[in-house]
Amino acid sequence: MMTLIAGGALFAYAGMLGLCQGLERHYKQVWQRACPQSLRVVLRGAGWLALMISLLLCAQVWGWAMAPVAWLAMMSLGAMLLVVLLPYWPRLAVGLAGLVPVWGLLQLFA
Amino acid sequence: MKNTFTQSMAWLHTWGGLIFGWLLFAIFVTGTLAVFDKELNHWMQPEIPTSEVTQADAARRAIAYLQTHEPQAGNWGVSLPTDRSPGLRVSTGERRHGGGVQLDPQTGEAIEVRDSVGGNFFFRFHFTLDLPRNWGIFVVGALALVMLAALVTGIVIHKKIFKEFFTFRPNKGQRSWLDFHNASAVLLLPFHLMITYTGLVIFMLIYIPAGVDALFAGDNRAYFKAQGNARLEQPRGMARQPAELADVVPLLAQAQARLGPIAGFNIRNPNTAGARIEVRPELGNRIALSKGQAMVFDGVSGQLLSDVTEWRAAPLTQRVMVGLHFAQFGGYPMRWLYFVCGVISCVMIASGLVLFCVKRGRKYASASAQLSARRWYRVAEVCNVGFVAGLLLACVGLLWASRLLPVELVQREAWEVRAFFGVWLLALLHAGIRPARRAWVEQLGLTALLCMGLGLFGGLEDALRLGVAACALVLGVLLGVVAWRVQNAEPAPLARKAGRSVEAGA
Repeated sequence: MMTLIAGGALFAYAGMLGLCQGLERHYKQVWQRACPQSLRVVLRGAGWLALMISLLLCAQVWGWAMAPVAWLAMMSLGAMLLVVLLPYWPRLAVGLAGLVPVWGLLQLFA
Repeated sequence: MKNTFTQSMAWLHTWGGLIFGWLLFAIFVTGTLAVFDKELNHWMQPEIPTSEVTQADAARRAIAYLQTHEPQAGNWGVSLPTDRSPGLRVSTGERRHGGGVQLDPQTGEAIEVRDSVGGNFFFRFHFTLDLPRNWGIFVVGALALVMLAALVTGIVIHKKIFKEFFTFRPNKGQRSWLDFHNASAVLLLPFHLMITYTGLVIFMLIYIPAGVDALFAGDNRAYFKAQGNARLEQPRGMARQPAELADVVPLLAQAQARLGPIAGFNIRNPNTAGARIEVRPELGNRIALSKGQAMVFDGVSGQLLSDVTEWRAAPLTQRVMVGLHFAQFGGYPMRWLYFVCGVISCVMIASGLVLFCVKRGRKYASASAQLSARRWYRVAEVCNVGFVAGLLLACVGLLWASRLLPVELVQREAWEVRAFFGVWLLALLHAGIRPARRAWVEQLGLTALLCMGLGLFGGLEDALRLGVAACALVLGVLLGVVAWRVQNAEPAPLARKAGRSVEAGA
């Protein structure tokens, strides 16, 4: 249960990160170069996908009636964290998404 | 008012936000704290022991106590230990009128517990501002309308919602404050809209009684009856014939299987042939707020007399909205999500208030500005400190008062409330006599210290009390960081009051 919740929060953050990095100015803010068009599409697509996965995980925990409430809160708070991290530690803000595969591995082997 | 639509919206947002923002901040802070009202109750009454007792055992002990001490009472109320409130409380007379006796769930003996307003104070303040109940409800309702107006006007005047969705540029003075205000408002917009709107829905019958007036001639009870909430009539004569009370424990189990975790039960006319046992579920087994619902059993035969009502679509809709506001569902993880969202709402309002002054600081702080304009600017500045930092100080002050005031003090609860308002008033006065920035630093710093110090009162072996102290510690550290940043921001007090925006204080 707690791991599912953690997963929901992680995917919500990663989703918002994808949407954010799919924007020209924020990609530049982290990598100091322009974002190729194709990568932008991939980032946004991955972002939306991660948000959907987050919703699925929330539904696993709370059921479909309560899940949207938790999901909206997680997306809001994830984006808020991202916005505060980006100007100070841009690499860390992106690096946090690295926790998603770690979580996936834990799910597989635990 | 200004000429164009956007300008008039901006005018409304600015002035409505400033004048009503001070009280809105108080409402949001106390509402956020009320998310953990029971945990705060528990912290503020350290005499209540922590014990792992099953509800069945606790119920038996409660009834044994009542049989010995109150066999003649017309009504017994029992609040069972739950995850969030480990105490066992018994009372006679109507519930919600307070009173009652705390029992040790382990032994079933009465224990002396200090009187304390507890976290319930924040809950009550949140919707009444501690005014007389109906007055308060109307004032807070009006403020909620202002909040909705501020949200809508904010959306109108913020033209780059999606373009600047993720934008926050720190260390740029006014720009940073505006960025932060925008980001925290836009990213949590679903929460802000939901919490404000559902807050209004709770008292919709008080605010808009026309429907009940027209259909039920203003008779609220007839209206509730039509929803299926009819209370069973008490059989009059039978309440005088003595009879043996049925065992509650199997009834509790039956109710739990049907409703989920149980909060407590009432027994009307105990020890008579007319006895009725009403078992109440915990709030939050579902989204819709189940307040007032109960399964009713015959107190002698143990037969189920009436089940919880199934709401029809319209009342269910209202109940779900109210439940969304009360945040009782989804367990602790959901509660924390609500709490953090609430904290950010508070910071959003506070950043808007500070922005008002940051924006005008350059203009009015200089000697060249008109004297009256400078005075009004100073009023805004003082109120900002007093209503933001001062309120936080008052809130943590209440927690300290609950532990420091002598236990045997007469009308102790009233003194706690006096301490809360006294601290708040002192903070406003302090803000009035100190330079704005010093006042911010001193009040935020003191609040931070008091928050961090809550752990000193001990009781940390209790998970709930440890949680309160740990959360206060984290908030205290954040507030300390904010105070430190205000202190060390560049001395030019004009546009760059606190350098960077407040990340997660308040």
